[in-house]
Formats: sequence, C-alpha cells, structure tokens
Amino acid sequence: MPQVRIIAKNFMDMVASLPAMKLDNLYSNAFICEAILRSLPPLAKKYVLQMLCIDGPISAKSMQEWVLADGASKHKVAVDRLLQLRIFTETVDRKRETSYRLNPVFQSNLQKLLVSGEVLPGEPLPSSITARLPSLEELDVFAIEQWECFMLQLINSSQAERPSNISSSTMKVFQRGLLTQRDKEAPRLTESGFQFLDRGVDPADLISFLLELSFHVTGEAYNISSLTDIQRETIKDLADLGLVKLQQGRKESWFIPSKLATNLSMSLTDSSSRKQGFVVVETNFRMYAYSTSKLHCEILRLFSRIEYQLPNLIVAAITKESLYNAFENGITAEQIISFLQQNAHPRVAERIPSVPENVTDQMRLWEADLNRVEMIPAHCYDEFPSREVFEGACEFAREGNGFLWEDSKKMRLIVKAEIHKNMREYLSRSK
Amino acid sequence: MGHGDHKGRPSKKHKSSAKEEQKNPFFEDEDAYFGDEIDDDFRYGEGKKRDFSKLELKPDHANRPLWACADGRIFLETFSPLYKQAYDFLIAIAEPVCRPESMHEYNLTPHSLYAAVSVGLETETIISVLNKLSKTKLPKEMIDFIHGSTANYGKVKLVLKKNRYFIESPFPEARFCSVLKRLLKDEVISRARITSEGSHGNDGFTISKTMGEMGNGPDSLLNEAELAAAAEEKETHSFEIDPSQALSQKVRNRTSSCQQVENVKQRCLPNALNYPMLEEYDFRNDTVNPDLDMELKPQAQPRPYQEKSLSKMFGNGRARSGIIVLPCGAGKSLVGVSAASRIKKSCLCLATNAVSVDQWAFQFKLWSTIRDDQICRFTSDSKERFRGNAGVVVTTYNMVAFGGKRSEESEKIIEEIRNREWGLLLMDEVHVVPAHMFRKVISLTKSHCKLGLTATLVREDERITDLNFLIGPKLYEANWLDLVKGGFIANVQCAEVWCPMTKEFFAEYLKKENSKKKQALYVMNPNKFRACEFLIRFHEQQRGDKIIVFADNLFALTEYAMKLRKPMIYGATSHVERTKILEAFKTSRDVNTIFLSKVGDNSIDIPEANVIIQISSHAGSRRQEAQRLGRILRAKGKLQDRMAGGKEEYNAFFYSLVSTDTQEMYYSTKRQQFLIDQGYSFKVITSLPPPDSEAELSYHRLEEQLILLSKVLSAGDDAVGLEQLEEDADDIALHKARRSLGSMSAMSGANGMVYMEYSTGKGKLIGQKSKPRDPAKRHYLFKRRYG
Repeated sequence: MPQVRIIAKNFMDMVASLPAMKLDNLYSNAFICEAILRSLPPLAKKYVLQMLCIDGPISAKSMQEWVLADGASKHKVAVDRLLQLRIFTETVDRKRETSYRLNPVFQSNLQKLLVSGEVLPGEPLPSSITARLPSLEELDVFAIEQWECFMLQLINSSQAERPSNISSSTMKVFQRGLLTQRDKEAPRLTESGFQFLDRGVDPADLISFLLELSFHVTGEAYNISSLTDIQRETIKDLADLGLVKLQQGRKESWFIPSKLATNLSMSLTDSSSRKQGFVVVETNFRMYAYSTSKLHCEILRLFSRIEYQLPNLIVAAITKESLYNAFENGITAEQIISFLQQNAHPRVAERIPSVPENVTDQMRLWEADLNRVEMIPAHCYDEFPSREVFEGACEFAREGNGFLWEDSKKMRLIVKAEIHKNMREYLSRSK
Repeated sequence: MGHGDHKGRPSKKHKSSAKEEQKNPFFEDEDAYFGDEIDDDFRYGEGKKRDFSKLELKPDHANRPLWACADGRIFLETFSPLYKQAYDFLIAIAEPVCRPESMHEYNLTPHSLYAAVSVGLETETIISVLNKLSKTKLPKEMIDFIHGSTANYGKVKLVLKKNRYFIESPFPEARFCSVLKRLLKDEVISRARITSEGSHGNDGFTISKTMGEMGNGPDSLLNEAELAAAAEEKETHSFEIDPSQALSQKVRNRTSSCQQVENVKQRCLPNALNYPMLEEYDFRNDTVNPDLDMELKPQAQPRPYQEKSLSKMFGNGRARSGIIVLPCGAGKSLVGVSAASRIKKSCLCLATNAVSVDQWAFQFKLWSTIRDDQICRFTSDSKERFRGNAGVVVTTYNMVAFGGKRSEESEKIIEEIRNREWGLLLMDEVHVVPAHMFRKVISLTKSHCKLGLTATLVREDERITDLNFLIGPKLYEANWLDLVKGGFIANVQCAEVWCPMTKEFFAEYLKKENSKKKQALYVMNPNKFRACEFLIRFHEQQRGDKIIVFADNLFALTEYAMKLRKPMIYGATSHVERTKILEAFKTSRDVNTIFLSKVGDNSIDIPEANVIIQISSHAGSRRQEAQRLGRILRAKGKLQDRMAGGKEEYNAFFYSLVSTDTQEMYYSTKRQQFLIDQGYSFKVITSLPPPDSEAELSYHRLEEQLILLSKVLSAGDDAVGLEQLEEDADDIALHKARRSLGSMSAMSGANGMVYMEYSTGKGKLIGQKSKPRDPAKRHYLFKRRYG
C-alpha cells in the first residue's frame, strides 16, 4: 500500500502514490511512460521534454530561471508532481544546492519512443477471424450502459437491472467518492475505487495493464490469449464497468476496448472536455435537472427530495432532511456544492454564483449545525474521599492536559479518556 | 428551506404561547397557528414523487416553454422566448406556486379556472393554448380537469342595467340556455324572477345583443394561437330578477333590497347549484346613476402592468368585479383611482385604518381631476360629506360595518352610504379583512362593481376562498421579480440575522415555568438587541438611511425604543401623535429610526424608509412578512443605479433578527416562504455585531444583561405578550368568538400548506385558559397524528 499518503483525486494521483520501487518498475514499460507524460501538467510536460536529452542533473536554481516570476507557483506544482511520480530524482550536494535529473529508465524509454515512433501494444485480430464487431456507436452505448448500471448499483442497488459480483462493502467505499466524479464519459478511478479492482492483485500490475489498455485502438478486437493470467482475470471486471466488451468466437475469444478504456490516459489533467451541465438551483431550494438519465436522478436523490419526474426534467427540493441524509452517508456539503456548480445548466452557469448563495450558505450552515457538538471520550470521577484529594486530582488533570469539567461543590470531575489510566494510578497513589 | 428540525418540540408549550396571542378580533386574529405539527412535505403532496416521465415529448419541445403534469402542476421556463406570453396566459388560468428566476411553478385549481373563465377565456381556448405551449402532450387528466372545472363557470352573469338586475347567459345554444332554465327551477330564484309581460317565445327570455369580448385578454398576445375572439355580436339570453322583492313580500325597504340578489347569488355558488355568477356592470349605459366628473390627470401614466390589470377589469367594455394583486409599492392606488375614473360614478373606497383613509383621499386628489368638494373622508375623527349628487367617499371597513350605536352625525352619513348606489366599491388590503366582514359591508352597500386590491393574497386560513365569490375572481397578479427587474419596485436585500441566545437567557428559556415568557425571552435576547443597535447605527451613520424597526411584542417594543431613545408608534398611540411622528420621520434629519408595532404592517405609507429591522413577529405569518417588506418596496433613487451592476444594486434592506435555537428559527423559515416563492432570497448573517464593535453597544457587560433578564422575568405574563390592537376607537369589534380550522386556501397559491388556526374573540380575557380543543374539530392532519 502507498507509503506516501496522497489524497487521490484521480487515476494519476493514484499512480503517484505507489511506492518508489513499484513506480520504477512501471517505467520499464514504454506505454506507461507515454501515458504518464500525457497526464502531466503542461509545464511539467515541457520540463520533461526539455531535459529528455540531458543526461546530467540540473540545479533547481537554474530551472527557476526558466519561468517568469509570476509563474513560480506553476513551476512549483510541476516540479512537485514530477518528484511525486519519481520522474525527477532530487539530489542535494554539499553546498546544499538542490538539483534534479530525469529518471533514467523513464528517459531512455521516452527517447526510444521518440526515435522509433509509437508501437501498438498488440495486433488487432484480423476481421477474418472475428465475428461481426460492434460499431463505435454500439460500443459507446454498451460502455455507457455498463457504467451507468454500475453507478446505479452504487447508489441504489434496487434500481439496477443486472446484479454484478461487486461486494456491498466495496460499494459503500465507492459511494462516498461518487460525487467527486465529474464526468461520466471519462470516469476517474479513485484510490478507494481501485481497491475494489485490487483483490489480491498487485496494484502496479493493474496500473500498467490499464495504461497499456489505453493504447489499444477503440473498437478493434484483441485476442484474450495474449494476456497474462492476472490480466485475463481482471478484464472480466473491466467488462462489467464497460471499459471493454468481451466476445466469444468459435475458437478464440477477444476483447474490444471501448472509449472508456482508451480515454483513461488521455488528458487526465485538463477537464476541457467537460460535458454540458444540466442542473438549475433556485433561491427557493428547488432544483430542476434537465436530464433523462436514471443515474442523474439517483445521484440527485442522494441529497434532495425528488418531487416530479418528467420526460426530460427532474424536479427536486433540497431540504434539511434530504441533506442530513446525505451527510449521514458521508457526503459533505462542499461535495454537493461543487457537484451543483460543476453541473450547472448553461442558463445559470455564467451567472455568478451559479448556485444561489443563500442555498450554498444554508447547506454549509446545516452541516456546521451538525458539528456543533464535539464528542470527547471522557471519564467521570466522584465520591472523592476529601477535598484535598479532589483538588489534587483536578490539578493533576490540568497538568496532564486532560481536564474537562469540575463541580467543586459536589466534588465531581470529568477528564479525557486518554489520561484515565494515569489518573487512576495517581488516585491510588494519593490514597 | 429548513423544516422539521424542531419536530421534537412538544406542541403543548406551543399552545401556551398562542394563548398569549390574543389579538384584535377584527383584524389580525386569523393566522396564529400551530406550525409545529406541519410537515412541509404536505405542501408538495407528502413528498410523494410523481413520475410523469412517460408523457410523450413533442419533437420540437425545446421551443415550447412549459411542462404540464396530470396533477395540475405546471412548470414554466422563464428563459423561453415565449415566456412573456406564456406567463400572461398562465397567470390567468393558474395559481403561481413559486416564481424565482429560472423556473416558475403553477397549480391549476378550480378557483384559478373560475378566474380564467370570468375574464373571458373559454374552455377550449384554455386547453388548446396550453397544449400549444406544452413540451409534452397534455395529460388526459388535465384536460378532463379543465373540462370539469369550467363546465359550470362563467355561464351565468349578473348584470345591473339601469338599476335592474338581470341574469344572463351569453351562450345562445340550447344547451346553455338550459342553464337559465335550470336556475329557474330553483325555488329561490324563480320566486325572485320578474316575469316581464309581453315577452313571448324563448321561454320568456329576453334576447339582447352585446359586444363580444374585445381581444385584449392574455390570449390575443399569442398570435400563434390565433385566439383573439372575434368582436362579433353575441346573442345573450337573460331574465330579470327583482331585487326589492323581499321573501315574505313585506315592505320594500332599502336595507333588504339587496338581500334578494344576495340570495340568488348564494343559490348559484358551488355548494348549491354550482353556477357561480359573474358580476358585470354596464356603466356606459347606466343612465340612472349620475356621472362623476373625474379624469386621470395627464401626468398619471399607468405603468404596463397597471394597464394590464385594468384591461382585465374592463375587458369587454363593462366593469368586472374582482381582485387585483400587486406588490406593495407597485402603485395599487393608481389602479384604484384609474378604475374609478373610468367608471365615472360615485365611488366608495374602503381602507383599513384612519391613516390610510387620509392617504387614499390624497391619492385621489393627486392622480385625478376630482374636485375637493367631491371627495370626503368618513372616520371617527373627520366626518365630511361631499356636495353634489356624485362623489367619492373614503372610509374604513369598521366604520361601515359597525353595528353598535353611532353618533347622530355618523348615523346620517352611514344612512347616505347605505342608500346610495355606488358605481364602484373599492376595497383596499382585502387580505386583512375576514370574510364575514365583507359579507356585512357588501350587503350594507349597494354597488355595481367591486374591486379588491391587495399585495398578498395569502392567509393562513381558508378565507381567501370566500373572497373569490364575495368580491370576484382574481383578475391579475403581478410577478414580483419582473417588477424588480423593470425597476418598478425596489430591489431589496433580505437577510436573516442569527443571534445566539446568551447562556443566561437560554437557560431561562428552557425552563418550564417560563413557557409564557418564551417570546419575551428570545426577543429580549441581549445579542439580538446588540445586533439591532449595530444595524441602526450602521445604517443611520454610514448610509444615512431611514429605518423602521418592527416589533409585535409590546414589551420589547417599549424596552428597545426607550433604551435606544427612538420614537415609537403602537396601537394606543393617538392619531394625532402618529401623524406627528410620521411627519417628523419624513422630514426631520434627526429622526431616522422609528419603532412600529404591528399597526405599521399595513397601509401606512412611509415612502422614505428603506431599511426594515424586524425584531419580533407574529408567529409564522407569511403575509405579515410580505406586508412588512412592502413598506420599503417603493422604488427609490435613479433607475439605472438600481439595475444589476449599477451604483447601488440594492438600496433597500430587510433584516429579520432571530434568536438561534428557539422556536423563532422555525417561525422565521415559515414566514419567509411567501417571499422566497416570489423569488426573494434570505442571506443568513451569523456574526453580528462584529467583534470590534462589541464594547460600544449596550448590554456589553454581563451585569447589564442580568438586569435585563430579571426585568423580563419579573414582568407579568400579560405584559410580555403580544399587543392587542383596537383599530379605530369609534368602532368596537362586533364579532363573536369564532374558531375554525381550515386548510390553506388553494387561492393563495400555497396549496396544501396547512395551519391550524387559533383565533380568539373579544369575549376572552388575557390569561384566561382556553377551552380544551374539541378533538372532533381537529383538522384531519392532526387527527391522523394523534389517532
């Protein structure tokens, strides 16, 4: 499991959080190097290309001169990212000067790629062997269907038409991350999501397989027998998610990558391909969603009360109860607000703020209301034998930073649970 | 907004607080209610989600502006190019539920359809236009509903022509003619009929020709729909009824003369024959009543929405009775004066109190060419009479309805009012007056046409429905947000200021023995006082604003006003003093803040004020909230400054101070519902006063707070209760104790939001225990919970 704890927001964060050894191993695969390069922020990409043919380290100072003063923060982000992914290795010399150099394996793989051009990871099967392949549209429909079905199951298992072999506990884990998911066409796997695919498989193997998969051609058929055993096991799960479609021929079986798979490594960092929003939130806490999707309806149901379902409109109300429901499920007000903002209907998207301020304020206040009571595990002491013992105990608790409350009249004392043991020792000593 | 978090609160303590709320039996006693036990769920059909996703979308649905559901709910996109037309149409046929920025919701109700039919829309027109505007095929249920609701409405009209009452049916086809026959089968009606001799054939019905509807209704705007009814002549059948024929054929005296008409009308209401009659006044052909020479002055230019509401009233060359709903400050009085000067007959104008009587008289003189001797005020203080044979009388409801002994002089005037045939009965603020009051006023005065004006057609009881049949259907209702956008009313920034209870006050608040002082405790919360003081200082000193502070709680009102040294007006303040204080507030640079009890809620016109701070209020009354906001809605400053992005987008401020963790929070949410449905939003402010101003404000020190606390606790229970109003000293309330339970009227547009009503009569004394509630009388909602 990752040693460096990074809050994984997307697939690449997940990769970045892999242990050093595994990351280094990953870079032995040329496809992964390319995929990683694609995923980098623009400035980081530029640095990698700039340093591609430089074998020695470059001092951090001279690198800083590559950017103008107002680009300093971007520079920092880029370098941090490169360090996280171990594309840069950092060395500090005797004069305490920091310098960076490219990961040699990564570097040589990219150089090769540059020289010999891109090679596909596998040859598609010729059409003579395969049966009729689905058209791209059909494949898209299939992928979206699978994905939505899976999502629906996450939110509300009764709504999904097909059961799948995903356990309910991992479902729960998924559900929490659901609202951060922004775009159904390019689903992002989060760290916790990844755990579900994991099932005893080395995450590094899985990552490399997924990234490799992304270099296959959409809609072409690939022979399953070319895969390793682990990969063959995994690909069934991926079919459940709609990343690939499996087909069985007379002799052989093959998989057809869908857009979901091939988009995995494409422009993971920039969300320029955002889909048009569909939600209008009004100042009276009513929410109108222009959508026919069952999935949208179920997502909205997580934090609102659905009141009307029309052919292309969902009418819902955000109420205190509905929000408390969401909070109980571990969804935060911030997540809901950002979901509403990111999916704002174009009619209201240009309005600032796109979600009325009084609604967002109220959501935060309701959430804050829940946190007004802080729970501290504590122990209560009473029936002290004498006032001296009581006062001594109070003093002891204060010194130990565990004092919470006292009633000197009735000689009662409440202390934090963590000093309970010490307190007991102290009291037995003072007897 | 929020609801239900206080569900756990025992309802018992709530009742005890209501006990204190003994109020003026005349006006404000309708809407104390037990909000605790109501779920907002109910409002939207118990949270039942409705799945109409099977409705068939039309291929060009993107160009059409609305969805219509089988249960009568209609959703309208405001960004559609057809929005304006669709809005005009929907407002005529349906009740607005909420009208925020992007999406409106409406409800189709029998009442709204009644209103639609009465402004001349026909069943088929309603269905076909709705179908054209709808993105989906209309649900069959809705079509059936429209047919069912409109089958009987608008088929019969009561027309006063040359002082003869006619009942007419504009449909020459035999099937509608039978409506008249059916009416005549009724004993009451047939007895009232005058069989004119010499009319033969056609069952003795008089056949006449009237001009058809001139197409300036909402429909004509939809050229796509080609709805404009041709201005062809229509044949109408009618028969005359005798107004003066008393049931027992006794002496024809004046007072009972309208009784018969009232009886006939009663028979036609939905609970009897179900052919509710529309009242129309053919004022142009009225040669019996003398004309009043008055015109609108040239500078009185009605705004587009005022024009539109008038066109609904005078749609077919006659004057229709009904209600026009415009937000406060949008110029209701100009609509009233315009209507009077179109009819050009004697006009009786009814207001709620003496101050607004003065203001109406002023408005008449301001906007019209009426001569001073043609207009007179009739209140307990001024008993004027107009000269000549036609004129305008401005008075209060109470003056007319008063049943007790009057002075000789007022007796004479009231006799004159009763005897005269009024061309127009103009009624201001119809929402505050209970129905039985209207019944009395309407039966006492004979008028050809009734026009009701109001800003908020919401009541927390059922009596809005009565207005529908007593005065007439709602003719027009303006959209608040559109008026704000058009710059006709002020753009108000609303804020809810959360004031945490101080430890000591909250401890007392939670004690059982203080149940009667709960309100006093949360109103007198020192943090609230400090927030109020801070806001007053801020607006007075930094912005130079004029501030009204509202407090329903008299104890709090006096405490606050004394401590801050500001003038205050409450029920007991004399008319002279009121006028003096208001004058000072308007003109003096030193008087920038006044404290008002709920006497200031309605119709006191204070155009200078632009800030309202509300420190205590009347439970969950949505209407009060809207009325109070209305005090500052009159647009101020230059238009371009007020528009979005202008110098001062907001130049009016409405603060509602609530003590957190008390029942006030709950009420506050309820109260705001109407305004929120009109598109207003309340910003929650949690950190007032700012920490750096702590020490300058009162009650900074704990000792001071404790002194205040003991003052609250030592005051008698009755002293800390709500104010009781006695409007107009001349007239004592004449109403018997009345208790009724009702569901929120469909008319108000907040269909389904149900409150239990608690009203007390004058017979009850403060502190007297209320009788145990008869469980059989419980509203079914409550029954279910207890049963």
